Amino acid sequence: MNSEEGFEPVILGFLCNWCSYAGADLAGVSRFQYPPNVRVMRVMCSARVDPTFVLEAFTQGLDGVLVFGCHPGDCHYMTGNYQTERRMVMTQKILREVGLSPERLLVDWVSAAEGERFASLVSKFTEKIRELGPLGSEAVFEKEELVRRLKASSDALADDRLRWLVGREKELIEEGNVFGERLPQEEFDHVMLESIRREYEKNRILLSLGDGALTVKEMAGRVGLSTREVLKNLVVMEGEGLVTVSHIEGSSPKYIKTGG
Amino acid sequence: MGEKPGSVLIIGGGVAGIQAALDLGNMGIRVHLAERAPSIGGRMAQLDKTFPTNDCSICILSPKMADCSRHPNITLHTLSEVTNVLGQAGSFKVSVRKRARFVKEKDCINCGACSAKCPVKVPDEFDAGLRTRGAIYLYYLQGIPPVMTIDKEHCLYLTRGICRLCETVCPRNAIDYEQQDEELVLDVGAIVVATGFDPFDPSVITQYGYKRIANVITSLEYERLICASGPTGGHLKRPSDGGHVEKIAFIQCVGSRDLYHNPYCSSVCCMHATKEAILAHEHDPNVSSYIFYMDLRAAGKGFQKYVARAERDYNISYIKGRVASITKDGDENPIIIYEDVDSSEPRKMAVDLAILATSLVPRNGVEGLAKILAVETDEFGFLKTDPFSPLNTTRPGVFACGCCREPVDIPECVLQASGAAAKAAEVLRR
Amino acid sequence: MSGELVEGSDARIGVFVCHCGTNIGGFLDVPDLVEYSRRLPNVVYSKDNLYTCSDTGLTEIKNAIKENELNRVVVAACTPRTHEPLFRSVCREEGLNPYLFEFVNIRDQCSWVHMREGEAATEKAKDLIRMGVARATLLKPQEEIEIDVTQCTMVIGGGVAGMTCSLSLANQGFDVKLIERESQLGGLLNSLHKLYPNNEDASRLVSKLKGDVKKNKRIDVLISTTVSNIEGFVGNYDVTVKHGGEDEHYKVGTIVVATGAEVYRPEGLYGYDGENVVTQLELEQLLRDGGLEANSVVMIQCVGSRDRDRPYCSKICCMNALKNAMIIKEVNPESQVYILYRDIQTHGTRYEEHYREARENGVVFLKYSPERQPVVEDGTVRVFDELLGEELILPFDLVVLSAAMVAHPDVKDLAQMLKVPVDESGFFLEAHVKLRPVDFATDGLFLCGCARWPCDIGESISQAFAAASRSSVILSAGRVVAEPIISFVDEEECSGCGLCEMNCPFKAIRVEETERGRIAKVIEASCKGCGMCGAGCPQRAISMKHFSDEQLVAQINALTGGGL
Repeated sequence: MNSEEGFEPVILGFLCNWCSYAGADLAGVSRFQYPPNVRVMRVMCSARVDPTFVLEAFTQGLDGVLVFGCHPGDCHYMTGNYQTERRMVMTQKILREVGLSPERLLVDWVSAAEGERFASLVSKFTEKIRELGPLGSEAVFEKEELVRRLKASSDALADDRLRWLVGREKELIEEGNVFGERLPQEEFDHVMLESIRREYEKNRILLSLGDGALTVKEMAGRVGLSTREVLKNLVVMEGEGLVTVSHIEGSSPKYIKTGG
Repeated sequence: MGEKPGSVLIIGGGVAGIQAALDLGNMGIRVHLAERAPSIGGRMAQLDKTFPTNDCSICILSPKMADCSRHPNITLHTLSEVTNVLGQAGSFKVSVRKRARFVKEKDCINCGACSAKCPVKVPDEFDAGLRTRGAIYLYYLQGIPPVMTIDKEHCLYLTRGICRLCETVCPRNAIDYEQQDEELVLDVGAIVVATGFDPFDPSVITQYGYKRIANVITSLEYERLICASGPTGGHLKRPSDGGHVEKIAFIQCVGSRDLYHNPYCSSVCCMHATKEAILAHEHDPNVSSYIFYMDLRAAGKGFQKYVARAERDYNISYIKGRVASITKDGDENPIIIYEDVDSSEPRKMAVDLAILATSLVPRNGVEGLAKILAVETDEFGFLKTDPFSPLNTTRPGVFACGCCREPVDIPECVLQASGAAAKAAEVLRR
Repeated sequence: MSGELVEGSDARIGVFVCHCGTNIGGFLDVPDLVEYSRRLPNVVYSKDNLYTCSDTGLTEIKNAIKENELNRVVVAACTPRTHEPLFRSVCREEGLNPYLFEFVNIRDQCSWVHMREGEAATEKAKDLIRMGVARATLLKPQEEIEIDVTQCTMVIGGGVAGMTCSLSLANQGFDVKLIERESQLGGLLNSLHKLYPNNEDASRLVSKLKGDVKKNKRIDVLISTTVSNIEGFVGNYDVTVKHGGEDEHYKVGTIVVATGAEVYRPEGLYGYDGENVVTQLELEQLLRDGGLEANSVVMIQCVGSRDRDRPYCSKICCMNALKNAMIIKEVNPESQVYILYRDIQTHGTRYEEHYREARENGVVFLKYSPERQPVVEDGTVRVFDELLGEELILPFDLVVLSAAMVAHPDVKDLAQMLKVPVDESGFFLEAHVKLRPVDFATDGLFLCGCARWPCDIGESISQAFAAASRSSVILSAGRVVAEPIISFVDEEECSGCGLCEMNCPFKAIRVEETERGRIAKVIEASCKGCGMCGAGCPQRAISMKHFSDEQLVAQINALTGGGL
């Protein structure tokens, strides 16, 4: 439904040195053919892939990103792929918040012996992206808004809160918090989603402020949130020292970013 | 070509030989790794996945193979066999014959143009005879060295003076029919034997129908079938008609614990049958497997857990009882005839595929090698070792590790290999 | 000219595009790629080769480096997994730091998989080369880090495994500190009577080992000594031990854990009372002291093993029971011995015959199922024989329980000191169950014997030699060479949160107290360069050498040419 005529997706792929990169090479040795839309970047472990790299790719207009690591239990660095999975699941969630299809980010596992599987996964993913259309076709807003939203999510993923939360996921679920209480996966997922939304909204607001000063109503208009939602975020951001009131215009306070 | 004493010869380039070579090489000791086949890798390279982690076998082996081939202290001699040993611990003089490959290793780039053209068809050993290869062939995809080999027994030019097609299509002029076998003499301080095992040929157990019934195969054949780089690309297909497999019988102790054949236990079969059943189910969740066993031997680390999971999650049933015989019906379905332990009555079960867990026996040719090395073998043909000196053979300075001593699993092969390396190092550093 | 240089406009990059015969040349427009490469930023030289990895190709690279004062080399060819080391060596030989080399994969991941795509394949290769050149521009020279290794191993545990390991290391010329917490060496061997499979005297074996250890000048034995603290990293461990209330400190290069296991006391099981119902270990003592008077002995296998608390099989109990059954029969041929089992574990070439021999000598084997366990009553054992399908009542003078082998209760303390994991049964967890069975994941730490998993003497001995070998590899090198692909911390940005330390599987990054507060520090010798810490650091304070954020993002930028 969304494919434009002759649209050729451009896809960035992160492959880990020990498994998926070797599997991709094996596809070559065995001559398993697949479409030429993927551009591969080699990393030592899939865990090297910072979620902000994925956002960088989308911010610059790439249509799809794939991250392939070793099968669970096989990671050359023991637990790298578990971290990868958690981070990429978080990234997919934020893509959904942006209004993009989370299916544009594929995380999967390919062993060094799975040449055919590699070729098959890439072929299927390319086809999927072709169906989804160029980046943003599934969204209801235009390009500038997409760029703003992607920047806000990139900032959210670069900021400490989400990184801290996803980094502690395994520990919270398996060992528990400081009180020794273990968190069930669904509860964690709930907390994560809430945090993603909060951080994303916060960063959208910050971005809308830019270098200027805005009232709550102006921010709400720019960002497409209700004034109540904006105010809720502002209260928190003020507490964190991210924004402050610069002056009052009429009866409405004008907020600016602190520090710059 | 004389070498300074202070090196070690390792005979056998499977996982045990490779591990011993790496340990010794990393200790700063020069290593000669002699392997009879065109490439190192051994049996582990033929497996799909390994228990109890279900790691892809060749994926975990390849980096070690690559390390070996690039290691400054390790010299690989493939297509090589030991022909004579003189001397004693600390200074052996070993003669090695390196058979001609008829392909220049430096020039071959493994492009495959030659094997695509070769008109000869012989059973492929690496794929357990499940497909054919040419007379010029790649032993297996991930082999090291990654070059072609000409099988001189079947090459039309080398036997009958005709053809030479490979030579005409080779873009690098890498074919050299004039190559001769080389004789090397190595001065080494210690020798480590790591020649591994062969699977027992179950044709002699005629009641199991191997070779008569198409859908009765050995576990090694199954490994090749289910391996992604095997003859069917990892698709489990019935040999008789390429059809779907939904019900599998695993028959344990084929040739093992058997006074007529091998009275000993082959140690690894209970576990590998479990693994193979798990893999079949992973390929197709409709598959159900029945493992006919005598005593379930899952004593190693993590093994009991693995078996429990298999039974619980993978539709695998363990049936105690020796299988009396296997027949077939009109659709080539194997019929397993066994004794039901509860009722003591004979029962029949029709399956799509029957897999024989064949005994592990010493490699073909080990008897001759043992004579050359002047080490004793035990009554089964394995290298004789003492229970409390498990890595020593009967000759000082010659050590043994892995399945050439007795059937053991991969972790045991690896640690015995490291152990043998320590023993060899002790000799050199005395 | 060592490429000792800065990124950006001072980079002078040479690009070599390989035909690989027709493998690349037959599918991609190589001359076009050469032309394209020449026009990329910072590229001052570009050429094609028929086979870049051939002697001719390598010479061309060397000459080009010299003549064009290249300080970065990019080869677009097969795959780095075959020839990256080769090209790096060539750079090194020409005085160029080997980490200023970049490999672009245009064969295994391009020409070979897009054989019918024509132009699209060449366009892909252009993108890949452009990405590679962008990365090469930002590469920095890296030096491998060398750290001296203390030429000594500490072996913790003086049983058969610990003694064997110590002797092997000493015979290889290394010093050993052998720590034993009891007042004598020997471990479990001191309590055994005869050893299977050949009924060798336990006391003879242990005396021999003790004697050899005592004689060996390289082995320093410290009995009645326990470990109280371990600091450091591979090649440089600082161990504090307690001996007679005093603390002593030792510097060692590697540590081997050989602390063994113990026999489970089956309190509450089968009427265990240590008199009429004993463990196999207690039976050993009775046999040794000649104090066995029993005409009817019932042995029960899998006591405390293969149950809900300990689902594992303790491996040695079947052979042990067989051995003891045969000894009882030898001492008193009229005696009746029953073995109640679930599966008889007589694996390998040597053990099966003992099973057969026992049966031939009249030992009666009765299979029971875990759902219907035998019941020990006053003077009799009731057991449901699964194979017969009947319940039998066996009179006994002695019931012998083949109790599980379990981890020492204080294993957790040692595990914490070493910062190594244990599995759910309390046995130490090795780096890789298949390929590194006696290594811990942390470099320089090894394990062998029953501390790893229940095993018999022969297996303990093999493992001890294996641990000695692995230890020797590190000691022999004299120094540890740390791969330069490691993480590094921007200390200004680090907030000391400890997330990196928590998640690092190799314990290669630790938060330490400094004057500026808590800061993460990389232990270069242990860091494996996975990048997990960098991609997860909440402050983005960690990056990787040779795979830095800048380098990776530059590749992405090069691909897209800037953005939406």
